Amino acid sequence: MRTAVFKSLLWPVFLAGQLGYASAAMAERIEPNEWLGRMGSAVQSTNYEGTVIRIQDGKAEALKVIHTVTDGVIREKVVAQEGNGLEIIRNGNEVHCILPDRKSVLVEEWDDQSTLFSTLPSSKVRFGSEYDVAVVREDRIAGRRAILVAIRPHDGYRYGHRIWLDVETAFPLKTQLIAEDGTALEQVMFADITLNGEILASALAPSYSTEDFRWFDRPSRHVSRNVETEWQSNDLPQGFRAMATHGEKMQGSEEVVTHILYSDGLANVSVFIAAADGEGRNGHSRVGGSNSYQAVVDGFQVTAVGEVPAMTVEQIARSMTRP
Amino acid sequence: MNDAIKMQISAFVDGELPDAEADLLLRRMSQDAELRKQAAEYLEMGRAMRGEAAVPGIERLQERIAAELEDKAPDSAEAADDPAPNRAVRPLVGVALAASVALLAIVGLQFTGSVPDGPVVDAGSMADTGDSGSYTVPAPVDDELVQYYQSHGATTSELGANGMNARLVNLRLSTEVVEEEEPDAADDESAAEEPTTQP
Repeated sequence: MRTAVFKSLLWPVFLAGQLGYASAAMAERIEPNEWLGRMGSAVQSTNYEGTVIRIQDGKAEALKVIHTVTDGVIREKVVAQEGNGLEIIRNGNEVHCILPDRKSVLVEEWDDQSTLFSTLPSSKVRFGSEYDVAVVREDRIAGRRAILVAIRPHDGYRYGHRIWLDVETAFPLKTQLIAEDGTALEQVMFADITLNGEILASALAPSYSTEDFRWFDRPSRHVSRNVETEWQSNDLPQGFRAMATHGEKMQGSEEVVTHILYSDGLANVSVFIAAADGEGRNGHSRVGGSNSYQAVVDGFQVTAVGEVPAMTVEQIARSMTRP
Repeated sequence: MNDAIKMQISAFVDGELPDAEADLLLRRMSQDAELRKQAAEYLEMGRAMRGEAAVPGIERLQERIAAELEDKAPDSAEAADDPAPNRAVRPLVGVALAASVALLAIVGLQFTGSVPDGPVVDAGSMADTGDSGSYTVPAPVDDELVQYYQSHGATTSELGANGMNARLVNLRLSTEVVEEEEPDAADDESAAEEPTTQP
């Protein structure tokens, strides 16, 4: 009798274990590219709020994030947990950055759909032969079941990515940018998150009254699209190709700079070509995982910028030529 | 903070903490600035042990931008004299204070390079300071290069490519000079064209 009762009590536990195992197995059976496709849809349609921890360059910080999408309009509020209480409020394309201690509001236009925690990579990205994409394992992130998708480059010209997707919604709960030696250059992860819960409009409102604040507008970019250029690279790393060429006026200058965007489908490198100023500039710079290299080529200042290793921007900048 | 939590943080930054424990630690970190600070310190120690360059000048850069912002903060007298409603009446000159700059302030001006002033350092003096083929390079501090980073981020985002990384980079960029137009006729014109009420 006792054994029968024991078995009857254990049965639901056993069943739940089997179901969990089955769903985990099912999650791992989904093709990695399908996961990325689902992620692309999820980041465009998921409402969420939570706390994000960013680790980069030896620093960790926490941000409270609230994000909604209604009829394609993104509304977002990001509040820094350190410092002086700065807030970013996004309503559609208009972004207000509130500096309470300065009594100032900075206004900027973001004419795209990317957000602070946007898609990586987007569903529009099509992988060439430069990366392998694989489902690695199931984990737990922010208390939720997550599937780890790894994007591994075949060479040292581009970074890898590791993305932990919520099994239920395919929303990215954690992302890492991976250097050639396997270390994480940047990491963004939710410490806690609520997905598709009810978010009141008031939650997206500024925490401060900005009535007596001063407002600053940022001038918009001046870009001519699809311009012709003689400039090209004669030694592009494998898989990269030119995606677009713009003519662009930088702020504070009337000069039109040629801007060529190269991509391998995931990694992007911009090359800017301008008249050289004096002796010009040469060398590397870096912000997080983004590198740049400047060189003077044929009397022009060539600058390559991208989320790629330093050697990639250097090779591309140095390879620019014109007939 | 006890030794156990310090060991846990140390394991976490080394990537050796089991997922479940990391999960719990992250939750605690999200609520506790002291824990975040400790994690950052361990990460910094790790960088030092790996021989990555220190970041001379970063404090100066931070102070400078903070000072610039301070200089431009309105004093009460000026605010009282300013008859114009505040909304969007102050376009910025040149590469001026933008939302990106403030966003940068949020994420802490975490440049990894050196050289707070002047042009970008020549590659020859910087590129070979790292080991195992890695580069230790300065962060961009000149207006032109910062604009290139920002333009790159905006362009890749528009194309729907790798938006997050590009955006995060944009958030971390700064201009070195914050300028504000003094109230003048142009401002008045601008004010007339812009909404005059709070959004």
